[in-house]
Amino acid sequence: MAENMVLDIENQDLEEKLFEPSRISIDLTPENIRFMRSPGNLISVDFTNHKGEKEFLERVVIFRSFPITNPDEFISVREPDSKKMGRGKEIGMIRRLSDFDEETVALINEELDRRYFSPTILKIRSIKEKFGYTYWDVNTTSGNVTFVLNNPFSNIRILEDGRIFISDMDGNIFQIPDTKKLDQQSFKKIEIYL
Amino acid sequence: MKLLFEMPDKDRAVFEASGDGEKLLYCVPFTIYEEKFVKGYIAITKSHIYKILDGELIKTYSIADSSDYKVDAMYGSCGFYAKIDGSTTMICQFVAGRDLARYLVICKACEFLSENPSEETITNSEPEKFCPKCGRPFVNNTNICPYCLDKKEVYLKLWALTKGLRFMMFSPFIFSFVLLVLGFVNPYLQKLAVNEYFRPYEADYIPTAQQYTGFLWLVGAIVGVVVLSKAVEILQSRLLAVAAARFSVMVKTLLYEKIQSLSLGSVQKKSTGDLMGRVNNDTSRVESFIINTFPHIFIQIASLIGAAIYLSFINLTMTLFIVVPVPFVLFLIKVFWGIIQQRNIRLWHAERRSNHLLQDILNGIRVVKGFGQEEKEIQRFAAANKKHWDIGAQNQKYWDTFFPILTHIVQFGRYLILFYGSYQVYKMNLTMTGGMSVGDLQQFSALAVYIYSPLVSLTDIPRQISEFLTSAGKIFEILEEQKQVTDIGLPIDIAIEGDISIKNITFGYESYDPVLEGVSVEIKKGEMIGIVGHSGCGKTTLINLIMRLYDVNDGAILIDDVNVKDISQAALRSQIGAVLQETFLFSGTVRDNIRYANPHATDEEVIAAARVANAHDFIVNLPQGYNTMVGEKGHSLSGGERQRIAIARAVIHNPRILILDEATAALDTETEKLIQEAINNLAKDRTTIAIAHRLSTLRNADKILVLDKGKVAEFGTHEELFAEKGIYYKLVMAQREMAYKKAIS
Repeated sequence: MAENMVLDIENQDLEEKLFEPSRISIDLTPENIRFMRSPGNLISVDFTNHKGEKEFLERVVIFRSFPITNPDEFISVREPDSKKMGRGKEIGMIRRLSDFDEETVALINEELDRRYFSPTILKIRSIKEKFGYTYWDVNTTSGNVTFVLNNPFSNIRILEDGRIFISDMDGNIFQIPDTKKLDQQSFKKIEIYL
Repeated sequence: MKLLFEMPDKDRAVFEASGDGEKLLYCVPFTIYEEKFVKGYIAITKSHIYKILDGELIKTYSIADSSDYKVDAMYGSCGFYAKIDGSTTMICQFVAGRDLARYLVICKACEFLSENPSEETITNSEPEKFCPKCGRPFVNNTNICPYCLDKKEVYLKLWALTKGLRFMMFSPFIFSFVLLVLGFVNPYLQKLAVNEYFRPYEADYIPTAQQYTGFLWLVGAIVGVVVLSKAVEILQSRLLAVAAARFSVMVKTLLYEKIQSLSLGSVQKKSTGDLMGRVNNDTSRVESFIINTFPHIFIQIASLIGAAIYLSFINLTMTLFIVVPVPFVLFLIKVFWGIIQQRNIRLWHAERRSNHLLQDILNGIRVVKGFGQEEKEIQRFAAANKKHWDIGAQNQKYWDTFFPILTHIVQFGRYLILFYGSYQVYKMNLTMTGGMSVGDLQQFSALAVYIYSPLVSLTDIPRQISEFLTSAGKIFEILEEQKQVTDIGLPIDIAIEGDISIKNITFGYESYDPVLEGVSVEIKKGEMIGIVGHSGCGKTTLINLIMRLYDVNDGAILIDDVNVKDISQAALRSQIGAVLQETFLFSGTVRDNIRYANPHATDEEVIAAARVANAHDFIVNLPQGYNTMVGEKGHSLSGGERQRIAIARAVIHNPRILILDEATAALDTETEKLIQEAINNLAKDRTTIAIAHRLSTLRNADKILVLDKGKVAEFGTHEELFAEKGIYYKLVMAQREMAYKKAIS
């Protein structure tokens, strides 16, 4: 029954409309998009969309495609997710952040720094182990903080270039750009987990 | 979940000063401000949101001007946003794990306030994930804080658990005590032997008959003590083996019973691996502690103290020689264990890495070969393996070097004793007064071991106790968990006809995040209802609720006008049958699997069910027919075959209400036809609720329910929905296009 019904309908136009994407991602350049600080201290944009129409968005969100290996290129500018529309669509991609003027870069970086908040550990004051949980007390670029790892070995990610990312039980992400640059006391404390 | 935190006085004062005397309804912490870790508060009254940090009011937002509250999870932190005067603004930033759920509830609360500005607050029963005492996180999915674990409580509970095993548990103490005393007796007898009967050679010395029998008695006694202590040891081990087995069988059974009786909700929050770990590893750790470590600790301490007292009676000065180096020795041992343990952790981790890599490569062997990456993978594994063995070799070298040295240092006091003791013996031989005899020295030296050997093992005990306490805590957590889905006082056993009415239900696996919201549907007996919708729209959740694997948070599900909560779970489950997406076959024969829900079904019934399910023909063709082993280690069946066995299982169950969760995997047309027929046979005369991924399954559905984002989007017959040109229409179109593309390619 159902299948027959479907076959009965031959409405090409309607079908095309149904499956047409509402937005196609474009390459963003200083010519086709302008970033502005919104009254809410976030980012608004004026841009020309894939259909060549001028559009204003009160808020966009900005993501890095490669936050760890290539933070300043392939920056994805998107509509925010919403309850009604679900996942936000990509407006376009900035190939290189440096293509834009300094003011824009600073504005975008402000948003990116907020999104990719991952303080750098400067000094490890103590690491205590209790029942397999490790309790850390560290100084970071964002102040002194204590955090807990449930399994130091799977929560500490070591990159090939020697950078270290530590994700704690609360969902914080801390980084150590180079363990060799830590002071000796700190290095000794973290050494056994490396 | 706590939504009204206590602010420190200075922040409180700021709030009092700036608020218009309105009641504080919610107060939650935020933890990040201008890229620094802070401890600030978001305080909410019925008309305003205040952001307070370190005794300063940073910002005030009016709820009347705000809308679109939202929590956005970012990398490593989250933001709480709202539209203020039409412009999206970040109200605060916070650490994800700690407060994400809390802010989701706060979003709801703010929405509620903007619609309905009153002092009525919403609450949330979600458990906290952080220790209320110290604020540190709990062990995942538990309420155990490793930092503040109450040891006394665990011990008391364990004591209660050992009912019926106590004699066996305490027998080691008695036996060990006997062994200890026997251990002290032997050096004493040796002393007698040396002092009374060992003498320098004298050519014409003839022992008297009395001396002769005395010596024989002494030898007999020494041998007797050895034999007796061996006998006691054997008896002890045998008893312990029995006690250990009984204890672990008992605890495992208790745990398993409990896990089976818990609702799906609490079980699914823990992974299978975690539960298996608790049933197997944690029980054996607890068992081994109770049966081995605990008596061991006791006996070591008793031996230490006993020997010290006994020795000081023999010779106080020499006892001091032993005791004085003890603190130093203890310190050395502690340092040594610390280093060894750290090294072992490293080794263990390297081992895990290389095992993990191996497992990964073996699982993906087809990909590796497919892309010709064998060489690279071999090198990768070799590197990991080399690191593992390098660490292993290093550790072994360290151990082999320092352990012998350490044992010597530990026993250093013995050299002092020998030195001083020999001098005393010499003095006695010289002067015949004072000093000590050779036998005394011999006894002393033998007893000194009872002081030194416990020292080495006692220093490792704190670690063992801590491991044991965590394991015991994990076990008790399950044993004490409250059932989420329970029968009411007097559950009703009804014979189900099959009318189902779903009245305005709301449900979420986490109560702050509803999967279904305000769903209402009426289903008449004998109808077939198809549920369609995008993945994640709540289809499976809805049928889980009808089967009452979970209880709804709000609203009600009625079967034949009786609330499912009032129907006994036994009656409900025996009259609802499910053919689920994962057609799980247990290890066993085809016959066992078909009659799983009804083990007394006759062979005729099994065959009849298989015929209805279109499964009979392929089953007969299996090597051993209905007796073929299937499941994990048995004959492998195709997806379609497994499904048909699952259908046969439902047929034999003969349920009044049938739940179908169609498998997503694509089947060939022929198999699909067979299964379709089987389902049609099964659905006859029963209320059937089918989740369909292939719209062809819905060919016979009386009505179709379209779910979208947890709400009923469309409900009606195929023709009605098609005419509406809504979601259902789009789905049909999309599938049709896919079928069309498939056909022309």
